[in-house]
Amino acid sequence: MTTVASPVAALINELSKLPTIGPKTAARLVFYLLNRPRNEAQSLAEAILAVKDNVRFCSICYSLAESDPCEFCTDERRDATTICVVAEAKDVYAIERAGAFKGRYHVLGGLISPMDGIGPAQLHLRELIERIGREAPREIILATNPNAEGEATALYLSRLLQPLGVVVTRLAYGLPIGGDLDYADEMTIAKALEGRRTLSY
Amino acid sequence: MYLRRLGFSNFRNYSELNLEPSTGLNLFVGANAQGKSNLLEGIAMLGTGKSFRTARDSDAVRAGCERAVLSGEATSRAGNVNLACAIDRGPRGTRKTYTVNASPVRYANYLGRIRVVTFVPADLKLAAGTPGARRAFLNIALAQTEPRYYYELARYRKALQQKNAVLRGAVEPDDELLLVYERTLLAAGTEIMLARVRLVDELAHGAAAAHARFAPDEALEVRYEPNVVFDAATPEAIAAAFEARMRHAAESERTRKSALVGPHRDDVGLSLDGVSLAAYGSQGQQRTAVLALKVAEYGVMRERSNEAPLLLLDDVLSELDETRAGAFLGEIGDYEQAFVTATHLPPGLSGARVARVQNARVLEWAAC
Ligand SMILES: [Zn+2]
Repeated sequence: MTTVASPVAALINELSKLPTIGPKTAARLVFYLLNRPRNEAQSLAEAILAVKDNVRFCSICYSLAESDPCEFCTDERRDATTICVVAEAKDVYAIERAGAFKGRYHVLGGLISPMDGIGPAQLHLRELIERIGREAPREIILATNPNAEGEATALYLSRLLQPLGVVVTRLAYGLPIGGDLDYADEMTIAKALEGRRTLSY
Repeated sequence: MYLRRLGFSNFRNYSELNLEPSTGLNLFVGANAQGKSNLLEGIAMLGTGKSFRTARDSDAVRAGCERAVLSGEATSRAGNVNLACAIDRGPRGTRKTYTVNASPVRYANYLGRIRVVTFVPADLKLAAGTPGARRAFLNIALAQTEPRYYYELARYRKALQQKNAVLRGAVEPDDELLLVYERTLLAAGTEIMLARVRLVDELAHGAAAAHARFAPDEALEVRYEPNVVFDAATPEAIAAAFEARMRHAAESERTRKSALVGPHRDDVGLSLDGVSLAAYGSQGQQRTAVLALKVAEYGVMRERSNEAPLLLLDDVLSELDETRAGAFLGEIGDYEQAFVTATHLPPGLSGARVARVQNARVLEWAAC
């Protein structure tokens, strides 16, 4: 039996702990890196450490930030009366890329899923309620994914927030822009029909 | 509808298989453990994405391989369609992906393109078996003929798991959270029950008629036995009954730490002249009832989509005596395409294309 050099095995082992990377992909990445110049490997390693050392979670909205509070929470041009609630920090970047939202964010840090041991207490829900009490926003937009966990979390939140006298909205369900009705699945079409709107100009 | 082409790659004991089945009867003969059942399982899985034999999809991938692919081209009223179902066995579990005409689709959008009715020896125990087997029987027919059914069933199952996790104490006790999952259970459960009422109603007619010709002296009754009893088969009546039962059971659900009411505990009752077949029927009576039920399933599937589904009979004709086997095929009537396996050439089958299955190879097509 042949064995790979132990640093190689160690890196394969580390990489295959990452999401979506299996041992085969990990091995491919390691052998790719072995063939690259040393400075490339160094900047990768440094970038990974910089993420851990220099990026933290904002203590107000829990999005990723280099400073605390984050740039979203401190930017006076952003509308403080609207808070968009998302599951993960990466969702903030998805919404920012669209450039259509100019309010503030609140990152829950996951979605409610009791079978995975995640209940309301494991997420930043209490912090959201405290924040609503403090900042008195006008509207809370629930922007969790339209899957089972995202729906359950949105429903739970809407029940929780209703007594606070704030308007709670949910992102619309619909057909993808540029998509083809022919290729949309039945549930998407059914939901898009439910959420139809009067066309006016 | 019929399959004009069928391909396996690393599925079960097959490394590669390419067949061009004919319309009508395709008969596969061979000794046990050569790959006959695998062949039928593959066709069923190509249509439904699910195996009728194993709960573990990883078993479907050939030993030592990472990926199995089932593919086929079918002709139906809707035209020609190319389907593929790939099963990938990875370090973190098995994943299935689906394509329709080479475009990736979600499972809900894949189901129902090739509709199948399968009949395997284990089905002969349907009348005496567990309620779960009878629910699975309803689910597979509904999932293939009502696009929304699978979505509601998946939603229901997920919410049920979450509710049970809350009751079990996987997270802090939270009545509001229970209400969230119960709302989904009510909405999806109502749709499931409505679909099941309709299906069993259609099945009951067909099964009673077929049974009357198999055994004219005894009347077969097929009845939906929902866990939540309701007065009228309307969404409002069912939802109201379900909600009332759920409220009523809330206390004991907390004590037993499990969701006790809902369509996950439904059953289908089979009786002869008012006497339960499961409790009092002889093995012969139970088998005859199942044959009638299978005939009804085939008829309902054909009626619902206005097109004959594929008929897959795995080793079941040899389980039946000649009279019953002949009567069964007679009741099925016109099929467009059937795939039948047997250990020996069954007598009385005409117009079949016969192939021998040996060591995961399909040899020599011949007419018999
Ligand atoms: Zn912030």
